[in-house]
Amino acid sequence: MTHAFSFLPAKRVSLSGTVTLTALLLATLCLPTHAAHASAAEEGTPGNTPVERGQYLTHASDCEVCHTAPGGMPYAGGRAFKIPGMGVVYSTNITADKQHGVGAWSDAEFVAAVKQGVSPGGKHLYPAMPYPAYSRLSDQDVRDIRAYLATLPTSASAAPKNNLRFPFSIRSLMIFWNIINGPTSAYPDDTSKSAQWNRGRWLVEGPGHCADCHSPRTLTFGLSSSKAFGGNTLNGWRIYNISSDPKSGIGGWTEAELAQYLSTGHADGHGTASGDMADVIGHSLRYLTPADIQAMVTYLRSTKPVSTPQDSVTFRNVANGDASLPQNSRGARLYASACAGCHLPDGTGRQSSFASIAGGRSLGADNGRNLIQVLVNGTGLQTATGVQIMPHFTGGGLSNRDLADIAAFVMTHFTTAQPHDLEKQVEQTVKERD
Amino acid sequence: MPTLMINGQPHSVDVDADTPLLWVLRDILGLNAAKFGCGIAQCGACTVYVDGKAVRACNLPVGLVGTRAITTPEGLESADPVVQAVKSAWVALDVVQCGYCQPGQVMAAVALLRTTPNPTDEQIDSAMSGNMCRCGTYMRIRAAIHHAAGELA
Ligand code: FES
Ligand code: FES
Repeated sequence: MTHAFSFLPAKRVSLSGTVTLTALLLATLCLPTHAAHASAAEEGTPGNTPVERGQYLTHASDCEVCHTAPGGMPYAGGRAFKIPGMGVVYSTNITADKQHGVGAWSDAEFVAAVKQGVSPGGKHLYPAMPYPAYSRLSDQDVRDIRAYLATLPTSASAAPKNNLRFPFSIRSLMIFWNIINGPTSAYPDDTSKSAQWNRGRWLVEGPGHCADCHSPRTLTFGLSSSKAFGGNTLNGWRIYNISSDPKSGIGGWTEAELAQYLSTGHADGHGTASGDMADVIGHSLRYLTPADIQAMVTYLRSTKPVSTPQDSVTFRNVANGDASLPQNSRGARLYASACAGCHLPDGTGRQSSFASIAGGRSLGADNGRNLIQVLVNGTGLQTATGVQIMPHFTGGGLSNRDLADIAAFVMTHFTTAQPHDLEKQVEQTVKERD
Repeated sequence: MPTLMINGQPHSVDVDADTPLLWVLRDILGLNAAKFGCGIAQCGACTVYVDGKAVRACNLPVGLVGTRAITTPEGLESADPVVQAVKSAWVALDVVQCGYCQPGQVMAAVALLRTTPNPTDEQIDSAMSGNMCRCGTYMRIRAAIHHAAGELA
């Protein structure tokens, strides 16, 4: 079995953020406290056996996306994480292979790696592995994950060696990082909130580790708590603001729309998940129970609003019908011939709801950053009825200028955005793709 | 194993839900009027209707069609006045060159005239730009659509 999206260009993933060594070394803050008991919010995990619970938690924690190389065997590791200024870290083989995987580890060693970021022999993991979030899981949860992984095929291949610049190649530096940003711990339920909210908080902040992408990073590459869920820019994509802010976050979405989006990757009037979020839906969120999706929605809607102007989009009402597209600009004519076939002139999607782009944030946000990513790299979403693909449009007769013109048309036809320098943006995105 | 409603007939087919509709039509059911051109929704040769809306069958997983009504070029009713007008306009203006793209062109033209009975050049270009013709019959297609619209008026 290979990854569903092996047809998409293999791309290195990078974590952006500035890490200053000085900041790491100067950190002499107090050690985090470790509460010993797990939250009652965990009790909602379905499954009758450790393996069943483990499978559910493996999905909820989205282990597969990072621990699988593009086109590679699931959980065999090897996906590259490029960290600007630092180098490349590869995800590890977490199949039960005794030599190259985690098969020879004790349960306690596995738990320490997942929750504290320390693998056997005292080796400190780099925080590309979201162990601070996973420390919200109970030890039993992590043992169940291991029990499930042990039922899967093993891979006898080792992940490539990390390629980090000095001094980041010194793993023990992570001890300092952990002091400032490192493992939190399980936390008790907030008794002033409903059980659903507590379950949602645990799913979002624990296994789901949503903030790892959706929160901006601090100077030491830790997660910002003051701007939690306020969005970030990773791998050249805008990771959208998912705070409760009505304009730039998800505050304007209904509960039903959020639930539809998280469980299927598409919400009517908001478009379809693409890029890394499509992977998160396809490999993780679509396996969660409706009750858990609802719990996540409840928690996400309660977060502190964070305003980020680049994520706010105002949409226009456009005329519908095949005959309605203007023919007065290059971008409009290109859209009519290359895009309207699936997306329709009014963006409502000819083929299926997944092709509906109407209301999608990418159409206007952040000077078209994600729109251009999708045009240049394509995207695929695993759904209950097969993989939905948006092909990439590079190398097939459309020039960078053509793509920029299409993007400009889409942005101004469907939204009130005022795009600038799109051709440069396309060039940059194409360069990063190669 | 989805059951598809094609040209008014139910068809049970044993395929994966993500099989493109065009594969089912051509390879399994032998309905060959919808053509395979590009396979990525860029040329329009495979155009069929789902609930009356023109879609690209090459890029439409059957699992997403459900029980909605599919019409292929074979299923265009000759008795329908719009279909009749388009067909006779196509003959009168000798639109066809090699013919490969033409089932898709006719499907798109009929769909256009149903919603926009008297289209302008711009509206024709907008509606027909998703249908490529390697032989370059575009000018004759545009003229034939005007011709059919005149017949129907
Ligand atoms: S074959 Fe379907 S659009 Fe070209
Ligand atoms: S008539 Fe030959 S492709 Fe259109």
